[in-house]
Formats: sequence, structure tokens, C-alpha cells
Amino acid sequence: MGDERLELPQGTLDLLILKALALQSLHGWAISERLQQISREALQVQQGSLYPALHRLERRGWIKARWAISENNRRAKYYELTRQGRKELEVEMLAWRKLAAAVGHVLDMA
Amino acid sequence: MLSDMLYRLRTLFRRRAMDGELDEELRDHLHREAEKYRRMGASDEDAMRRARMALGGQEQVRQQCREARGTRLLEDFIQDLKYGVRILGKNPRLTAMIVLSLAIGIGANTAIFSVTSTLLLKPLPYANADRLTILWLRSPGIGIPQDWPSPGQYHDIKTQNYVFEDTAIAIGDDYILTGVPKAMKLDGISASSSLLPMLGVKPLLGRTFLPGEDKPGSPLTVVLTYALWEQTFGGDQNIVGRSITIDEKARTVIGVLPREFKLNHEVVPTVGGIDKPEIFLPLPMDAKDEQDYGSENFNILARLKPGVTMQQAQADIDIIAARLREEKHRDPSFTISVVPLIEQVVGNVRTAVLILFGAVALVLLIACTNVANLLLSRATARQKEIAMRTALGAGRRRVVMQLLTESVLLGVLGGAAGLAIAAGCLFAVRQMHPGNIPRLDELGMDFRVLAFTFAVSILTGVVFGLAPAIRAARIDLNATLKAGGRGLSNGGLNVRRDKLRGALVIAELAVSLTLLTGAGLLVRSFVRLVNVPPGFNPQGVISMQVDADTAKYAKPGQVIQFYESLAQRVRSLPGVSGQGTVSALPLTPAVGWGFVYIEGYVPPKNQPELQVDYRLASGDYFGTMQIPLVQGRLFSTEDTEKSPPMVLVDEKMAKRFWPNGDAVGKHIRHNETGPWLTIAGVVGVVKQYGLDTDTRMVVYFPLSQRPDNTMFLVARTTGNPASVADAIVQQIRALDPGVPVYDVAMMQQRVHDSLARQRFAMTMLGGFAFLAMILAAVGVYGVMSFLVTQGTPDIAIRMALGAQRGSILSLVFQQGMALASIGVAMGLIGAFSLTRLMGNLLFDVSAKDPLTFVGVALLLTLVSMSACYFPARRAMGVDPMVALREE
Repeated sequence: MGDERLELPQGTLDLLILKALALQSLHGWAISERLQQISREALQVQQGSLYPALHRLERRGWIKARWAISENNRRAKYYELTRQGRKELEVEMLAWRKLAAAVGHVLDMA
Repeated sequence: MLSDMLYRLRTLFRRRAMDGELDEELRDHLHREAEKYRRMGASDEDAMRRARMALGGQEQVRQQCREARGTRLLEDFIQDLKYGVRILGKNPRLTAMIVLSLAIGIGANTAIFSVTSTLLLKPLPYANADRLTILWLRSPGIGIPQDWPSPGQYHDIKTQNYVFEDTAIAIGDDYILTGVPKAMKLDGISASSSLLPMLGVKPLLGRTFLPGEDKPGSPLTVVLTYALWEQTFGGDQNIVGRSITIDEKARTVIGVLPREFKLNHEVVPTVGGIDKPEIFLPLPMDAKDEQDYGSENFNILARLKPGVTMQQAQADIDIIAARLREEKHRDPSFTISVVPLIEQVVGNVRTAVLILFGAVALVLLIACTNVANLLLSRATARQKEIAMRTALGAGRRRVVMQLLTESVLLGVLGGAAGLAIAAGCLFAVRQMHPGNIPRLDELGMDFRVLAFTFAVSILTGVVFGLAPAIRAARIDLNATLKAGGRGLSNGGLNVRRDKLRGALVIAELAVSLTLLTGAGLLVRSFVRLVNVPPGFNPQGVISMQVDADTAKYAKPGQVIQFYESLAQRVRSLPGVSGQGTVSALPLTPAVGWGFVYIEGYVPPKNQPELQVDYRLASGDYFGTMQIPLVQGRLFSTEDTEKSPPMVLVDEKMAKRFWPNGDAVGKHIRHNETGPWLTIAGVVGVVKQYGLDTDTRMVVYFPLSQRPDNTMFLVARTTGNPASVADAIVQQIRALDPGVPVYDVAMMQQRVHDSLARQRFAMTMLGGFAFLAMILAAVGVYGVMSFLVTQGTPDIAIRMALGAQRGSILSLVFQQGMALASIGVAMGLIGAFSLTRLMGNLLFDVSAKDPLTFVGVALLLTLVSMSACYFPARRAMGVDPMVALREE
């Protein structure tokens, strides 16, 4: 059993993926690029952990996948948010913000 | 949640396609990533290398994706299963051996479980069967363990209880159906209108009795059972409303009961001993009957109110019984007990069935142990494969799971084969038809049995697979791989090295010894039972029941005349050397009893009046049955209606009241004011109720002085019993075709049938014990021959160093017998504590019978010795040169 050298807690990666897909549907590599663009400085996202996360999200019914022809005329698997996924994103974002604010508050108090 | 399940399911079936898609996706990713680096100026090769590094180990990614799909466990399982099937197929002989042992074990369990399930678990086929009860009088203090209640008691219970929703009273009797081609005897139950609705019977045609139809003066009606309707009335759809003649009275058929409805003797044992009622009649009860506390000949059935427990019901009835005890001057031990109907039916076979079930579970345990041993030997052979898997990164859990999958697969295969064996066993049981075991006609395999077999198969797989699997997974990697192809556990020739296998064999031997002891005790009691003198000689005696109960025989003289003419006709038949009649033949359900007052004997205060069995006899009944005359004389043709009344008593009664041997000439009577009857002779004691049951005191009356309509005819024959029996039946028909004849059987057959239950228990337990012994012998053989295989180099060295072949032989024997003696010792301890449970199955044999214990211990030791013999011979035959060169 390989240990995924994640510097992100698992839930966080899922949240980031959902966020990346919120604007448009993307294929795997594009998601990874988008995540790196957004978070290049702050976060290290292991490309390898992207795919298991995508499978997990698909199993939960938050994203769905379809095959399509990409810009370079190759078949690629595109992921998009489901309605449930969109709801989940909002819930997760709210939860994350609350947590971040709370943690920040605690740290400021000291 | 649902979508999640669907996803997992879809994933499972599209596994290959999804893996392909994933590969394509990852390839696409790599290309794009490499493209990115190329655009940044890297060489093709460098770009690909950096892309690969960024993505990480592809195999790991794939694995994690599969895990993320949530089907990993199942996928592993399927993989293990496929592998298991391959492995089992590679070694068909071993697989067949294992499956066969398991099939025997599981098959026997399935068969016995279906017996248990049918008898004990399946509800009786009546509505709200769990709330149905039957009520019995008990007076253990004066030797009456169980007696039928009376209409007076029924009235009190019906009107005073707070616990029953409904109550019913019933009585069984023989009836004669005429107006059909041949007069027929019918078994019937007369009952209050409440009986059939209480049992929840929905008539097939017409209706059952209405409330009030059981009042005196109501029109005469009858309800037919399906069998009678079908066989005698040809399934006449218009039977309802038709009039039929029962006991010479016209009765209107108001309904036909459904085919599945039964109210057999085992459910409601009526006083008349009828087996399967064919008609139901209303039982008229008037105000006088409600005050009748004396005729204790009825059955009372009752249905509890919902939510009332048996204990509550019993407590309520105890109050009524206490009142009766007070008011009617019953003996102090008098109670009325509320018996759940299912208990009534199976109560006295429960122990036997549970013991059989326990026994058969032990057989399965032994079979499992054997299979575990076989797998252990195979696990040794597979050490290298397992070491390789472990080296390649398989976790211990994974290895255990894989081996367990294999053993569960074996278990399920065994279970499937076991079902076939069970079906065969059930067929055999039905063929054996152990007469008086209740509910056996309902026997079959239902969903309960299938579920049981499935569960047992899985459990079996886990039980026999766990020990070998865990041990295999605990392998020492380095040592095994270094040892190459050779086995590792080369412990030499010492069973103690392999504690697990030794322990398994010891357990097998101990368990089979326990079973053998149980079976041995049953065999011993059966032999004792068969040798109980019945008090008569059944050899060559034909018996049948004759029912001269029509208006032609209403007067005593007429019935006496009938039986006298019958006697003359039977006597003159060729092949008949003696004949007679009796009102209650031994080993039939027929009974008869009454009060007796003895001249000069005053019963102690507070004890009920003396009751004894009454039997009427005529002709040379005692001579025909060879019941010995102890004193005085038998009945003769001189004893007529006009001669002084006389009786015979049996030895039991003579010894009780005239211990000095002077019974002959003394007087008794059957009520306080009647005429005195002179005791003319004393006859031997006859086992009336079964070879294992104590008899009651008996008074025999001559039929000529105390006539009765329904008698058993007995005839001793030297010829072919079947044709003589036919000739007798023809004579009766010639005498009066309106008199039914039935229940024709040889006395020997009756004796044989009376032992059906004991024979059944003995055969079954004996069979299981034998199976267990064979399995244990196979176990000993397996371990010893494995030991010899493993120890061959050791043996070779010993021989090379000059050991005699004889000493090798005795070495192997010593090892085997060391195991055997521990197993036997432990088995004796187990048997000693378990056979106590069999107490009430045994007859005249102690549950600690030393002969049985010593006998089975010897037997098992001998069997173990023979199981050691072949491996020992092989050890003796080892060629040291060959063996050492192979090393």
C-alpha cells in the first residue's frame, strides 16, 4: 500500500478539484495544470493523487465524466460538476471558510 | 448511497474497460505534460522523463484509482476465487477428497437439520399455533403422570379462566360407516363447535360447525376429512347436504376439510387411541354433562389470549385446579397442566433429536479437522509459493484472505455435494419410516434448510481454513526461499514437532470416542430392550381388530353369540392352532380401566379409589398368546352369563394384594355395591404399553360375562400368516359383512414397531459414530503418513546408522499411539460428561456403563493402530540409499 505523499489533506484536494471544475469541464491534465496555476506558490499538488481523487468524486456522484475530442484532435476524458457536486462545492467552501476563519481567530488571540 | 452502490456495481462489471480508460487517460496526461516540457525546450527524452516523474509511479496511481472506485475488496476476492479454482483444479484428487469429506459432514448435518427444523422449528399447521395448548390432569403422587380431563372440568375451565381466548373439548372414537359397498370403521372426533375454528380450519366445501350446533337436540351433522371424501365418496362436489349413515344414524354432511388439515394422534391423543380422524361430529353437552367430573375421557384444547404467556396461563389454571382439588377431594398432588401444543407433539423426541443434531455437528467438526489437516499438508507444500507472494509485497492479511477464499470455495463445493447427500439421507429416513416419530411426513428441504446448509458451508470453510491459513502466512521468508523446493518443516520423525496437527488428530479421536460411547450405550440399551420378555410369545400370532358395533349386537347375548360363532369359524380354518379375543391387545393404543374394590382391603385415607386395567377376553386368548397361567385356572366354556361371575388377575396385582400367593378364591368388585367376583386364576404380566414401560395391575373378565363390541382377534398359526389372515378376514365378512375388520398385523410386527423410535435413534447415532470413527481413522492415517514423508530422511539416516526395520516400525507406531492414547483419554472424559444427557434415552443401562466405555476405547485404539499400520509399513520400506541421495 503506497503512502501518498500528500501535503494536502484529502478533503482539500477534492475541494480544489470541484472548484477548478466549477467554471468549465476539463480533462485530467488540464485540472492538474489549473490547480498548479492557482496554487503554484502555496501548494504542492502531486499529479499522481489527482486521478484517484477523480474516481472517488465520480463514485460519490459529484462529478461525471465523458469522452470527447480535445483541441489537439485527441480523445480525452472530460470531467464536469453534477448538480449535486455544485451544491457540495458550496457547502465545502462555506465549511472551509468557517474553519479557516475560526483557526485564524484562535491564532490571532494568542 | 444508492448511486454509490450502482457505481460500484457498474465498476465491477466494467472493470476491464475502466482500467483501459484509465490507462488511456494517464497516457494522455503524460503526453500533454511532456509536450509542456518540450515547449519549455527540453529534449523529447528528457521531457518524457520529467513528465513521468511529475506523475509518479503509474502502477501506484492505477492501484489507488481502483481503490478509490471502492471495489478493491471484491476485486481481490474475485481474483482469489479465480486463482482458487485454478489451484483446486490442479490437484483434483486432493480436491475430491476434501469435497467428499465435507459433503458427508455437511450432508449429514443438512439431513438432521431438516429433521430438527421440521420437528422442532416449523410451527404446527394451525392458525396461531404458538398460542394453542392442550390440558392434562396430573396426579404424580398416586402414580398417574397424565390423565384425560372430564366435561365437568372443561366447564369449570371454560367459565372460570382469564387467560384463554377460546377453549374446546373433544373425544375420539370409532364409528361404523354403512350404506357404502363394504362397512367401514371410521376414526372420528366429536368436539365442541369451537374446535375447528380455533385451529383456524377453512373448509374446502361447505362449512364447519356453527356455535350452538353442539347443543343437545341439534340436527345430526358431520364434517368429512379430505382423504375420506376423496377415497370413499369419490370427491363428490355435491356431497354437502347429502346424508350418510354413521353408527346407523343418518347424518347430514355439512362440509369437507382441506387436504392439508390433520389432527393426528400425536397432536391430540384421544382416549380411544384413534390415529387419524376421518370425520368430525358435534359433541352435545347438556347441563348434566357440565356436572360430570367422573368421565375423564376427554381432551381439552385452548388458545391463549394474545400476549398471555404459558406461565400466566398455568398460574390461572392452577387456581381452578386448586379449587377442584378442594371441592372434589382430589389427591394432594392433583394439578391441571397447560402444555403448548407443539410440546405435546414433539416433547418426547426433542432430546433424541437434539442429541442427534449434536452428534452430527461433531461429525462435521471431525470432517473439518480432517480437511484442515489435509490443507496443512498442502500448505507445507505451498510454502514456497506463499513466500514468493510475501516477498512480492503481499501482506499477511492478503495471504490469509486468499487461502481462506480457497477453503470457503471448498466448503461451498462440499455444501453443494452435501445437499445431494442430504436428499439421499432424507429419502432413506422416509423409507425407514420410524413409525411413531411425529411430523415426519412433513419432512423436506425448505428455505430454512438451504439457508442452514449455505451458512454451514461458509462457516466450515472458515473453520477448517483458518488455522492452516494463519500458519501459512506466518512463514519465515528467508528460510523458506533459501530452502528452495524442499519442504521446510523437516522436523524428523517426531509428532511433537507439529503440535497443531497433533492437536487436531487428538481432538478428532476424542470427539469420535464420545460419539461412539453414545452410540454404544444406545446399542446396549436396545439389546436389553429387545430381550425384555413381553409376557407373551408373538411368534406366529396374527391379530386384527373386529368392531361388531351395530344394532344387531345391541344386546349382550347377541355380541357374545357373534364372537362365539366367529371363534368356531376361525378354529376350523386350516393352519390355525389357537384363537381368542381380547379388548385391549398389548402394544396397541387400546386401553381400558376401571375402579376395583377388594374384599377386606380398605384403601388409606386421602387416596383415590383404586384403579386397575380392565381387559375382556374370550376363547383361548391366554393359550394363543402363550401368556402363562401362574395359579388357578383360565376361562372355560363353563363360564357363561349364568355361571357365578369370575375374573383373572395378573401376577402384579396378585403380588400386591395377596403376597402370600393365595389370590385364587378371593373376591373383588368394580363398585362399592356390586356383586363380588371370584378370582379364578392368576396369569403372567404382559407388557401392554411398550417393552420399556411399566405395566399396571390388570383384571381380566370373561367376554361371556362382560361383553363388549370391539375386540382384537388373535390366532396362532403354523401356516403362511398372510393367507391365514386373509382367510380369517373372509370368515368375518361371511359371518356379517356389516362388521368392519381392520388393523391386521402379526404380533411380531407390533413388537418390532413398538421399538421404532429406539431403533431409529440407535441406527442414526450408530451411523454417525461410525462415520466419525472412519473420519478419525483417516485423520490418524493422514498425519502419520505425512509424518513418514517428512521424516523419510530421518528414517534413512537411522537405517544407515544401523537401525533395524522393526525398530522403525515400532517408532512410527509409538508416535501414532501416543496421539491415540491422549485422544482416547480425552474422549473418555468428554463422553463421561456428555452421556449424562442421554439418561432418558437409555433403558436398563447406566449412562456410565463401564463395559461400553472400555469397549469403545478398545475399539478406537484398535482402529488407530490399523490407521498407523500403512504409514509404518511404508517407513519400514524406506530405502536409505535412495532417500539420502534425494536429499
